[in-house]
Amino acid sequence: MTALTTPRASGRRSRPAIGSQLFLVLLTVAFLAPVVWALLSAFKPANDIIRSPLLFDPSTFTLDNYTAMFQDVPIASGFLNTGIVLVFKGAITLFFAPLAAFAFAKYSFIGKNLIFGAVLISLMLPTIVLIIPLLLEMKEFGWVNTYQALILPGAVDAFAIFWMRQVISAVPDELLDAARVDGCSEFGIFWRIVLPVIRPGLAGLAVLTVMNIYNDFVWPVVIASSERMATLQVVLSTLSQNITGNRIGADYATVTGELLAASSVALIPLLVLFIALQRHFINGILAGSVKG
Amino acid sequence: MTVMTAARARRRLAPYLFVLPFVAVFIAFSIYPLIFTARLSFTNWRGSGAAEWVGWDNYTYLLTSPGFWNSLANSGVLWLLIIPAQLVIALIAAVLLDNAKLRLRGFYRVAFIVPFVTPLVAVAQIWVVVFDTNYGAVNGLLGLVGLPDIGWLTTSEWAKPTLALLFLWKTTGFIIIILLSGLQSIDSSVYEAASLDGSSRVRTLWSITVPLLRRTIMFAVVLQTLAVFQMFAEPFVVTQGGPYNSTTTAGYYLYNHITRADLGTGAANSFLLVIVVMALSLVFVRLLRAKD
Amino acid sequence: MHKHLPRAATRAAALGLAAAVALGLTACGPDIGSASQTDAAADLLQLPAEESPSGEITIWDRSGDLFEVFDEAIAAFNEKYPDVTVNHESVDIDAKLQNTLITGTDVPDGVFLDDAKIAGLSDYLWDLSDVLAPYSEEIAPQKLDVNSVDGGIYGVPFDSNPGLLYYNATALEAAGIDATAITTYDELLDAARAYKQAVPSAAPIHLEQSPFLSQLQLEMYASQLGTSLADADGQLRLDSPEYEQILTYLDTVQQEGLGTRAEYLGPTDIAELENGNEVFYPWAIWFDFAPQQLLTQTQGDWRAMSLPAWETGGARSGAMGGSSFAIPKDGANSELAALFYSFLMFDESGYSAVWGPSSVYPTGLNTSIPSYQPAADPSAPLFEPVPALGDQDLWAVATEAGAEIPASVPTPSWWAGAVDYLGTNLQRMLDGELTPAQVVEQSSDEIQTNLIDRQ
Repeated sequence: MTALTTPRASGRRSRPAIGSQLFLVLLTVAFLAPVVWALLSAFKPANDIIRSPLLFDPSTFTLDNYTAMFQDVPIASGFLNTGIVLVFKGAITLFFAPLAAFAFAKYSFIGKNLIFGAVLISLMLPTIVLIIPLLLEMKEFGWVNTYQALILPGAVDAFAIFWMRQVISAVPDELLDAARVDGCSEFGIFWRIVLPVIRPGLAGLAVLTVMNIYNDFVWPVVIASSERMATLQVVLSTLSQNITGNRIGADYATVTGELLAASSVALIPLLVLFIALQRHFINGILAGSVKG
Repeated sequence: MTVMTAARARRRLAPYLFVLPFVAVFIAFSIYPLIFTARLSFTNWRGSGAAEWVGWDNYTYLLTSPGFWNSLANSGVLWLLIIPAQLVIALIAAVLLDNAKLRLRGFYRVAFIVPFVTPLVAVAQIWVVVFDTNYGAVNGLLGLVGLPDIGWLTTSEWAKPTLALLFLWKTTGFIIIILLSGLQSIDSSVYEAASLDGSSRVRTLWSITVPLLRRTIMFAVVLQTLAVFQMFAEPFVVTQGGPYNSTTTAGYYLYNHITRADLGTGAANSFLLVIVVMALSLVFVRLLRAKD
Repeated sequence: MHKHLPRAATRAAALGLAAAVALGLTACGPDIGSASQTDAAADLLQLPAEESPSGEITIWDRSGDLFEVFDEAIAAFNEKYPDVTVNHESVDIDAKLQNTLITGTDVPDGVFLDDAKIAGLSDYLWDLSDVLAPYSEEIAPQKLDVNSVDGGIYGVPFDSNPGLLYYNATALEAAGIDATAITTYDELLDAARAYKQAVPSAAPIHLEQSPFLSQLQLEMYASQLGTSLADADGQLRLDSPEYEQILTYLDTVQQEGLGTRAEYLGPTDIAELENGNEVFYPWAIWFDFAPQQLLTQTQGDWRAMSLPAWETGGARSGAMGGSSFAIPKDGANSELAALFYSFLMFDESGYSAVWGPSSVYPTGLNTSIPSYQPAADPSAPLFEPVPALGDQDLWAVATEAGAEIPASVPTPSWWAGAVDYLGTNLQRMLDGELTPAQVVEQSSDEIQTNLIDRQ
């Protein structure tokens, strides 16, 4: 716990050698080059993206891909829908996952192993196979093309439970017992002791959850079939089918341009979020993953 | 006395209340579809019409089908190509990032996580153009140093490494952060002792850091094993499983049944996959425990 | 990790799996599927009876140029039927349609669909025999055939995609070769050999490297010979003299080094087309997108002609791809969708709006031709001559080729799945690993066991 809350004084070693610096620089170039390519290519004439993908000629700078994209696909309502799902699904996950994880980490109760076993299984099961059954269930509920269908399934997902259980396990029992002696209710312990203590871990979960919800597309594509419910990733998939599909028909160059423009627009909010919350994110993941 | 028992009763009851919301959502949207899928795996249902009970037929079909074993073998090879390389790169990067004196530390941490948040469809485009056999940038660079062209995406020997590169690109940043978290919990006095000892940097890494990080590394390995065996989006957008099904991963093979509306076989396939992944995870957990 | 997690987790996971399986095997699980009782007569859709009906329909199309073309066609439709509101949505149809049909919720009234997908979804679609009856005599037979299942027709045929032989006229002329004289595939081989003599670096004929498109092209060749992967009863008919002839031809192109192996309009393909090494492109009409948009250096050098025939006097074209409009039974206003598509395809102002000049394509949509024969009149062009093809009258070439396409049978629902076997084996042959006979034998075997027997 101490390791994650206090920035450790790690003046332990000398400045890294040239070789190490070089390694990091190379890695950075490798990691950023494709993204930079996508961002820059979005400003090229669509046909040039296909014809000369590695050439950037400033004189051909164009916003055509962006204007075509804004005109063709409902990207604004995509942002709105993603935002709505993000707020509700995020809030549910960030409250109920730690709550359940608290029970798994600090209490013994009947069925604990059974439920936790099911959690582990569902982690191992490829999600794609649950799509059709879930879809039929949504049909029974009359939830197709509704926000609740986008929000509730997976709202308290197994990985969040697993992750939070790790974090809460590290909270010392003495702390909880002391609170009990002070007359704290069990929920009070969670609310007033556990949550504040695990805040870094929670921040990590928050960022991961935001990222997962933001980037999730398999389920939204299936369940949000109508245009008004399309999330941002659904909009992207509408564009990408012409490319990942089989290029039958004509104008896949235009669509490639639009896709890159849409991807850039979709990428920017998350990038900004990352740069702003960088510290929380890293510390949060530190809190959640396993210690030596 | 009564106060004590009331508190104890509350304490006994609390965990049930805490897990209740999670369990409700989990049963509705995970367990129910899971059971549905389990039943589906014994039928030949195709999404419409009545289902016919076929017993173990789907399982025996898969277990005797070369395609199924080929998909597992492909995932196995990808695992070998990805995991060791990823651990080495991530470990070195994490150790370097752990050094507070490193310049641009914050920048690197953000840069490394960028691929993790980039829409895959956009990345797939550059993979296709950069790794083109005759006109791609990679072969162009190889040509400069006098090496022959390589059919990165067109030969079954090279398609897997090319796909592995994509996966490495997309996920290594996340693993770096996880390892970094493990590193930060190592007491710096251990390193001071080593440097007094006069141990070389590589020696320190191998004989001190790695053993202390074993649990974190295993966590990363299990996480990535799940991801590699469920890998679907990468072959879907870049290779469509080709050439010659050499990149038909276990996850992609499973998806193929579903697109063909062969839902029963898809369900059976996913349960077989769960067993494989579970067995692998068990092996790692055993390895981990044997050394404790 | 918590100290005791590994063992506890293992036990817990095993317990969970056991419980899930046990529950799954008992009868308490959910019901899987309800048999949909189909009554043939109830599946027949009719056009609305009123003169000027009113209502609202939702139409799904894929994104891109066609979407914008249809947008303008909708405006033309509204001039004639002002009371019908058309909601036009661009949708990832492959990913969404099947699931939407399964749930039966918010089903679109009409949807743009690859011909190859119609048969697989026909359970969910209206039989359009009655709607199409007034026109069916005049619709390209191949297009009606691919949309037919058990006597019903499940899609309004949209475009016809005749296979054409695109060739680089300038490069061939420079080598002293007259492409227009080619009438059979044997003569194409001879011309390719002659060109290779003149230009030693050349590999004149395109050999497709993507399994999917190479299988689609194979079916174009087969369509020329009046055959296809499956017969009218869905039985595999790959083991036939026709396929043997086609595969042997492709194998010859490969063996003699006469082919450029590349993915359709990938980086290699574009470069080889531009530098004059690759000069023959037997492909569907929609290849013309390349000279118009991508091949900036050889733009104007390209021409199109009918495909060579397999035997002297044989059909000079076959179908490669193509789409139709399907009308789901669960749509709210299916009759209006039928009205809309009938207008689009069979009314002169409809099909003129689609193929004629538009803001997207000022000279008209020239990547396909209508499948409705009165619209595809060689002497009454809807789109203008194509500058990238040296102002050639592509309309005349394509409509004449289209008229040559032999009749066909429905595409089996497992067609796309066969790519993993036939498409892959075809690629192996082009790599020199398999003989044509082995392709036929292995693919037949694999398609039978993995696809047909598992229907």
